[in-house]
Amino acid sequence: MAGIFIFSEDSALAAQLLTPALELKQSLAQPITALTLSEMDATELASLGADKVVVLQSADTWVEGFSQAIYAQVSVAGASVLLIGGTLRGKHVASYVAAKLNAGMTTDAKALRIDGGKLLATRVLYAGLAVCEEEVALPAVVTIRARSFLAPAAASTTGAVETCSAKTDDRITVKEVTSTSAAGVDITAANKLVAVGRGFRKKEDLGLAEDLGGVLTAELACTRGVAEDDHWLPIERYIGISGQTVKPELYVAVGLSGQVQHMVGCRESKIIVAINNDERSPIFEAADYGLVGDLYEVLPLLTAALRK
Amino acid sequence: MNFELTEEQQLIGQSARDFAKEYLEPIAVELDHTGDFPKKAVNALAKHDFLGLLIPGDLGGAEAGFVSYVEVIENLSRYCAAVASIVNNHTIAAYAIQNWGTAEQKKKYLPGMAKGEILGGFAIFEHGPTPGVGADALVAIKQDVGYVLNGKKAFVRNAGEAGVYVVFATTDPALGAKALTAFLVEADAIGVKVGEKLETMGLKGCPVADITFENVVIPETAVLGAVNEGTAISAKALAVASVAEAAQTVGIGQAAVEHAAAYAKQRVQFGKPVATLQAIQTLLAEVATDCHLARLGLQNAALLIEEGKPFEVEAAMIKSFLVRLGSKMLLDTCQVEGGFGYSEFMPLPRMFRDIAGTNLLDAPGDFPEKLIAASIA
Amino acid sequence: MPKCLVCYKWTLDEQDIKVKPEDLSLDSSRAKGKISDFDRNAIEEAALLVEKNGGAVDALSYGTASVKQSLKDALSRGPEKAYWIADASAETADASVTAMVLAAAIRKIGQYDLILCGEGSSDLFNQQTAPRLAALLDMPCLSFVNKLSLDGDTVTATRKLEDCEEVVTVKTPVVIGVLSEINKPRIPSLKQVLGAAKKPNEEIRIADLGLKPEDIQPKAVRKSVKGFVMHRKNVIFKESSAADRVAKLKASLASEGLC
Repeated sequence: MAGIFIFSEDSALAAQLLTPALELKQSLAQPITALTLSEMDATELASLGADKVVVLQSADTWVEGFSQAIYAQVSVAGASVLLIGGTLRGKHVASYVAAKLNAGMTTDAKALRIDGGKLLATRVLYAGLAVCEEEVALPAVVTIRARSFLAPAAASTTGAVETCSAKTDDRITVKEVTSTSAAGVDITAANKLVAVGRGFRKKEDLGLAEDLGGVLTAELACTRGVAEDDHWLPIERYIGISGQTVKPELYVAVGLSGQVQHMVGCRESKIIVAINNDERSPIFEAADYGLVGDLYEVLPLLTAALRK
Repeated sequence: MNFELTEEQQLIGQSARDFAKEYLEPIAVELDHTGDFPKKAVNALAKHDFLGLLIPGDLGGAEAGFVSYVEVIENLSRYCAAVASIVNNHTIAAYAIQNWGTAEQKKKYLPGMAKGEILGGFAIFEHGPTPGVGADALVAIKQDVGYVLNGKKAFVRNAGEAGVYVVFATTDPALGAKALTAFLVEADAIGVKVGEKLETMGLKGCPVADITFENVVIPETAVLGAVNEGTAISAKALAVASVAEAAQTVGIGQAAVEHAAAYAKQRVQFGKPVATLQAIQTLLAEVATDCHLARLGLQNAALLIEEGKPFEVEAAMIKSFLVRLGSKMLLDTCQVEGGFGYSEFMPLPRMFRDIAGTNLLDAPGDFPEKLIAASIA
Repeated sequence: MPKCLVCYKWTLDEQDIKVKPEDLSLDSSRAKGKISDFDRNAIEEAALLVEKNGGAVDALSYGTASVKQSLKDALSRGPEKAYWIADASAETADASVTAMVLAAAIRKIGQYDLILCGEGSSDLFNQQTAPRLAALLDMPCLSFVNKLSLDGDTVTATRKLEDCEEVVTVKTPVVIGVLSEINKPRIPSLKQVLGAAKKPNEEIRIADLGLKPEDIQPKAVRKSVKGFVMHRKNVIFKESSAADRVAKLKASLASEGLC
């Protein structure tokens, strides 16, 4: 019988995929099969609601090389929906499998549901300007980005785990892999953020924002210019259209104008506060609370007030 | 009848806009402060074929038409009108050589001008009543070796940077302008003395200076066109130049109205963006309208030039229009921006000073309305 | 001497698209066309490859009738010849249709050593075309490439992923998806713009591609498109002293349970 499939090479994301998968299971009354490359992930996924977990094994560890094997699993069993974690690797795999399945695919769905036997997925268009619903006939492939959903609670039953030897793509050779992630913080996981822009005159002045971050227990983030042009903060802290997307409880934007290329990365924050000395800045339209003032005067006052 | 630019013309305009955004936007403010000749930008212009735009392909130019040319000038002027001035003055010199030069003269100068190795200058004006008349008039006396030039030329743009000047001198002081003749004078000819650079109101970075000619000897082969043809040549060249300058005015005006409009949408007073206030709407509307109509007139004149049809009346009309309304575009947009329109850290004050330099009359007696009236009455 | 093909999309400039405040629908009547930003990087990369290794670049685009407006633009940026498919189906085409049409066109045109695409189109940014094409053409796919070089029939590429960069090699033929950081597209010089008119272009008709009707029906259909609107409280603190404004902000944060 047809089923719901999930796959991600990222453990946390794979678990998160089970949440929309479980909702689809309700609508479609079909079992969930999780595909994974890791035995550790398999155990977790089996305990979180996957009815079956298949571990694909190969000497080769290159994720994209498993595309054909994943397609084989999905097509043999018959998939109605394939949810794949929207990492870059995941998108590569998903697109390949979608082509092989002759299926429609929605990239970076924010929400999904079944309606009239088809999948309805919500996604963003035109660099964030618009939002749309895509109706995808089944079988449908969907990629979902990290932290779009929370992982489900432990399930009452445990799914079956089996292993399967996978034939991987041997045409591509991986010569070397260099890690680029800083040992630092993942700002996308932060609950509160203080974002700095070019209203700060010197790198040392960021200390004012750090102090505020300290009393708020907020991480520091920034606009593209601060990271890529000034190199005052590492690129992992850059929020914007080609940087990180965040959804914290609190986003304090200090000395940044609020252009759409930045805001598209933080506009789903629960509360946005703006501190800027130019009342014409677009940030004030995007803020719940706005304070027009010189950050050099306001930040120390705010930090002191919050300390009390 | 098609009002749209051809695909090529649009792509050329887009290239010019992208070029200006990349190479001119970053230097515009500094250039306005220092007035130092922007050599790097001029070299980049050459590499993108902007300095040989009108020059025939077999002489190394891009051989594009005049409509493409004004598209380029307008787009460059949106970001830095001073650099557009450099291009304009260079191109008019090349235009003169192309239209009146012998095959040898064209071969000698145009390939170098297309590549930007030789910059052109156009020396017509004098401090006296009209070129060829008065104590300092530039006089060219025929001798066995060729001609000897003595006198002074005023307000020569690209002075000091040009490699070759198209120079107008009278071969007979008694006849004055009637004996005006065009010559090609190389900058390093002995006796060519470029005076001190003038501090102009705007368009800083395009050098302007007087040039004194002290017993400058030039060969017979340096005559451009026919002897005594100088007045006709300069009239035509200046008419073409006026259309090219109009493109600068339109480019500056367009940049100004876009800046003022963006400002007005954001500036909030009395609880609303000032763009909703009637006074502001009127100012923006008038500038946008004048700019739009000027552009249409400009493109029409440019097309006539490109097609080799009579264009002098249309050129005079666009000149007349912009002499009256060109600077108003900046007066009005500065008004929209209020205090910011008067602050030098914003772009409008520089544009205000620049636009004034693009709609100066060539000579008080030569007002465009004379030609227009003569054409209808 | 590689034979390269670049697939590009002629899109509406998303900066010109406005959201109508009455109903949040999109107004693209004033939007001008452009070659999708990341595809420009792909065209530039192909042009650079050919400048270095010899060979030639062709361009291929599938779009509505407006795709004809893109040809001179594309040809001024390096390619020698442009193939184009203008069909109404492009209006609603999803990634599955696009890939089918492009793959069929490629099978018709001939063999290429490298097929380059941008990472995604600037309007929809599906990020699917390159791997889909590779699957349909049974070629390997290198996605998210920010550095590319060719030595004989071996391609070496650096792929940039979220947490690492990997250097991979593969033998041609190969489909490659490039990132915008791979290069800076040239500003075409006037001679390049004018030269584009002299370069050949060839229309390929969809009817000649041997596709079934269902192949050009989108499987992902856009049902509703609405401008994104933020609903924020927009409370601006206007007290005369900075200290008073700060006090109000603190009170607001406290009421939200954030401090």
